[in-house]
Parts: sequence; structure tokens; C-alpha cells
Amino acid sequence: MNNKNKMRKTLRSLMAGAGIVGAALTSGYTYANGPALKAGQEYMVVANYPNQIHVLDLQTDSLLKTCKVPGAYGPGVLQVAPDKKTVYMLTNHYEDVYGINVDDCSISFHTTFSNKQKYLRTKSLFSMALSPDGKELYVMHNPTKLNRDHYRVQDSYLAVYNTADGKDAKPVRTFPAPRQVTVMATGKDGGLYMAGADIYKMDVKTGNYDVHLPSRNWERPLYVQPDVLNAWPIQTPSKDFTILYTTARFQDEKQDLATADWIYGYLNVDLETGETETTDFGPITEIYFTGMKSPKDPNLVYGVLNRLAKYDVKQQKLIKAAELDHSYYCIAMNHDGSKVYLGGTFDDVAIYDADSLEKLGNIKLPGGDMAISTSQIFVR
Amino acid sequence: MKHLKAINNKAQLLDKAVAEDQVEEVVAMQSLAGCAATTDPGWEIDAFGSVTSLCQPMESDLYGCADPCWWPAQVPDMMNTHTNWNENAQDSGESWRNLGTVFPSDKK
Repeated sequence: MNNKNKMRKTLRSLMAGAGIVGAALTSGYTYANGPALKAGQEYMVVANYPNQIHVLDLQTDSLLKTCKVPGAYGPGVLQVAPDKKTVYMLTNHYEDVYGINVDDCSISFHTTFSNKQKYLRTKSLFSMALSPDGKELYVMHNPTKLNRDHYRVQDSYLAVYNTADGKDAKPVRTFPAPRQVTVMATGKDGGLYMAGADIYKMDVKTGNYDVHLPSRNWERPLYVQPDVLNAWPIQTPSKDFTILYTTARFQDEKQDLATADWIYGYLNVDLETGETETTDFGPITEIYFTGMKSPKDPNLVYGVLNRLAKYDVKQQKLIKAAELDHSYYCIAMNHDGSKVYLGGTFDDVAIYDADSLEKLGNIKLPGGDMAISTSQIFVR
Repeated sequence: MKHLKAINNKAQLLDKAVAEDQVEEVVAMQSLAGCAATTDPGWEIDAFGSVTSLCQPMESDLYGCADPCWWPAQVPDMMNTHTNWNENAQDSGESWRNLGTVFPSDKK
């Protein structure tokens, strides 16, 4: 073992020790190793193995604190509540949601979807959102009945929880919902946007829903059906619900794929107004797992996987791209649009200047991989 | 389908679904009944027939794919049957050597 690795192991041992001390003082599951958050300050939350939430201080671009979460990790989808104090985490192999007060790392909310007595194994694939007042939590449930000799996939449905219902919360309402919904977001009017085959909007009081923005079923002459990857419900500073797509556009009615244009674009719902956009922003030359509009200039779109790329939407042109140390899945930007924070995959957050795409640094996280976690930036 | 004959329960159920015009229900299930329901291609080639848009290095993509059963043929099903597969390798970049092969008898 080289010195660097020795130091790393020692540091981790010390951190684990701090966790044990903290656990004795609090609930037995959680510990706080940092101060409470300050009003008006900007933070980022990220999750990683072994089932923990980190709060990063974006004034200093450093780790502020770590909250342990009970159970096993995965997927680590985070949603920040409107109080900017409670962070909800979808975890335990996609079967539980915890609400964590990141000031003191206490647990304010917990629900588990599966029901062993009824032989139902229920998962939620990244689909979790909060009402604008933070009083309700919306989660897609995808149950499977585990019979002794065969499994039966049950109907998917939306479960509504009261966030005040504490550590053994049960759904207070459920509604039939479309299959294949993954990421969700709520609008200012309280409507729930659900991205699946299309982007639906559901009235969470009645359960009525309709297609708000077509995706698989869009009707764009000469375009083929889009391909999308919806696994990161990013809460953006600009209040946009943005999903990237790839597609092809034929030159004419002959529909010759050999001469078609291959295109990247985004589907967008403005969560303040409900207005929608289906906008191409450039040719497809590489893959991005997430992308978002710049909070300071909606004509700029960033995408990330193996490179961090920036596009001019009107000109449909790649402006600049930065090579990355490794793949990152999940993009986030600070509120003034000056920095890009890359998370997911391994155990470090990479920081880039949003204008120059110069690398500004990394924040190494204690623990393991973030994997498919959704990181979020917010102002307390 | 005229040259195929259903000989087991699953195939007969599919025939029944076709007869009842319920094929959409069969096709549109989410991949939650078990990893075997997913047949995505793997880490071998990207959308352009190349490798530059595959995750780099592959370890960075490992748990993002194992946790949600994305590529069940390549890595164990950590969502349901081998949930502790990486308990000794939570930092994949550093400790991937601790990851082992799994067998049916390892199932939790």
C-alpha cells in the first residue's frame, strides 16, 4: 500500500470513528459532523455509498457535513424540500424514502413501499417529487406480486404522502398512473409533471392526468421518435424541468436514414408557467446523460457524460467542450450560472467554470461511489 | 408467429395476450420483475459503433448500472438478488478487486 492509500485509509478510519461517536449521541442511525446551514447561503447535496448525504458549501467549495441514512444505498435520488432544510432521499434499493433534516441529520420522514405480508415488492425508479408547499410527497410505485412459483407485475400507481406523517408514513391517496414514469417534478400551480413515454401532468387532488408535452408520441414532420434517458430529476435554479433527447430528421418524405440529420435536443417544462418547449440544440456527436439550461442565459445548454459540453441553442452549435477526468452522470449549476458541478459515478464532485469550461477543482467525498444519484443545488 | 407454437406456460400466456389484444400490457412492463426482464446491450459498443461514448473508465459506470439492473448479463442484480455484491467495494475505482463472481447459491 502506498503512502497516499495509507493516508486515505487512515482518514476513513477516523471518519468512521467520528460516525460511531455521533451515532451514540443521536438516533443510532444518524450523525451530524458539521454545523447547521446558514440562511442565504448556497449549498449542494449529493448522496453516495454507504447510504449517506453530503452537504457541500458552495461558498468555499468544500464538504460541510455528512448525514448517515439507514438501510442500503441506491439510487440516491435527492429532492430538496421548499424549506431548504429537509432533503428527501429515495434509497434502500429503490424501496424507501427518508426525509433528513440536514441541519442536525435527524430523520423527519420515512416510508417503505414493499409489503412482505402481501408478498408485494414495490420499487420507485427515480420518481419522487414534492408539492410546492412541501406538505406532500409524490412517489411512483411499481409493485410486483411475488407468488411462490411466479411473479406478477401489478399496475403502477402514484402514491401521495403527507410529509408530516413521520417515520412510518403510509400513502394518504393513490391514483392509477401511466407505466414507465421515471422522473417527476411539480409546477408552481401544484400540478405534477411525470416523464415517461410522454410528459404527463397530473392533478394530484383528483388523479386526472393528460399528456402535457409529447415525447414518444410527438408529431414533428420528418422527425423520428426521440430517444430519451430519464433518471435524474434535477431541481434547476431556473425552475426548468429539462430532459434531453436524441432524434433524426429526414431530408424529405423519402425518409432516407443515410441522409438524415442526427440531432440532440431538449424537452422542457417551465415549472413556473407550465410553458413547454421542444428544441433542437445541436448535432449528436457524443452522448450526454444529463443537461441543463444556463440559469443566466437560456440560450446556453450544457451536457455531460465523458465531456462537459456547451451549446448555443439558437445557432445549434457546440461552443466549447472540456475533457473530464472520468465520466460524470449528473449536472448541476449554481444560481448565478457561473459554475458547473458534476456528480454521480465515482466519489468526487468536479467543478468547472461555466464560461471558460476550465476546471476549478474537485471535492472528494468520504465513502464510496455516488453511482446514479441525483445531486441538487439550493440556497438556504 | 404462424411458424411458432407455444409449448410452455409463458408462451401460452403471450398467445393468450395476443388473442385478447393485450400485447401492449405485456410489452410495456417496467423492468422490475427481475433483472432477467431487461435485455439492453452492454458495455461493448456505443451508439456510434465506437467506444468513445462509453463511460470512462468502465468502473465509473459500474454501480450506476448494477444498482438498477441496467445490464443484468454483465453484472449481478443488485436491486433484488445480490444486494450485497459490492459491500467490500463501495468505492469501485479503488476496490473493484474485491468484487467477485456470484452464483445462484449466493442469493439473499
